[in-house]
Amino acid sequence: MADDDSAGVPRLNSLDRHGRQIAPEVFAAAEAVFSRALRHGTKLLGDPAVVVNILEEVAATVSQRLLRGDPPGEATATRNLAGYVFRAFVRRVNRLKNKEHALLHAVIARSAATPKSADPSRQFEMQILLREYLARFSFEEKDMCWRRLEGYAWDEIGKLQGISGHAARERLRTAVKRVKAELAEKKGKKSLPSGAQAGQNEELKPAPRTDVKKKATTA
Amino acid sequence: MSKRKQQQLNDFDDPEFLSFAKSYLSEAFPNPQRIGCPPDSQLQQMAEHPVEVRDAATSDHLTRCSPCFNRYMEILANLKRGKAAGQ
Repeated sequence: MADDDSAGVPRLNSLDRHGRQIAPEVFAAAEAVFSRALRHGTKLLGDPAVVVNILEEVAATVSQRLLRGDPPGEATATRNLAGYVFRAFVRRVNRLKNKEHALLHAVIARSAATPKSADPSRQFEMQILLREYLARFSFEEKDMCWRRLEGYAWDEIGKLQGISGHAARERLRTAVKRVKAELAEKKGKKSLPSGAQAGQNEELKPAPRTDVKKKATTA
Repeated sequence: MSKRKQQQLNDFDDPEFLSFAKSYLSEAFPNPQRIGCPPDSQLQQMAEHPVEVRDAATSDHLTRCSPCFNRYMEILANLKRGKAAGQ
């Protein structure tokens, strides 16, 4: 584990945090790259103690590999041991950094996937609007709505109705506006004395559309 | 996005609204007895060639039956995939 000297600067230990021994030659190599590794690691990971732990782990891993080498204990197989330790350290730091990024992205994606409608009042508002739309939309408007819910593009929807994608979009936008205006009007009437609310239920019927040509009965 | 552009967008351009609407309609109206459900062929016909006089009741039924709504969404998705593959 990383120790701090009296000045508070962390220093290397001959055992890593898992209790694995670092071979003396690898320890010397790690010491040689220590300040460079500390600078680089701290820049990326922030905490010097974590950086020292990583360097110790890398040094312990390198020591084990050297011991497993052929012939066992032959350190000369790696010509530049300090460079080897530093490269291994950089790879480990990068891997950790990537993992950190991946975790961060996962958290962001999760929070983005959590609908903003987790807000109950917004959810309630959308529910009311949806019910009103479906109750008041004409057949063609509802058909557009079903297809939008399934992810159809406006062009695909327009093609089916024999109009352009832009016209299809405008048509549904107008329908939405119309329903919202009707709701606003209804809300205004609700604030009137109860006698003035007669016939209010009639408003829930879809508004008659005179501009919509009915399609032929042939399938 | 400019304010003008935002004003031009309707709920059916809003991914949040679309996602809410789809999940609401697919769960809010369970109909285990399948009361009043149209046959699959009718949903298929409506998906391929919607005709008001023939399909109005079916379309209305989708607003209050989650199983039919889910089936219709499936049919629309298959149709879309088929069209995309045919292109």
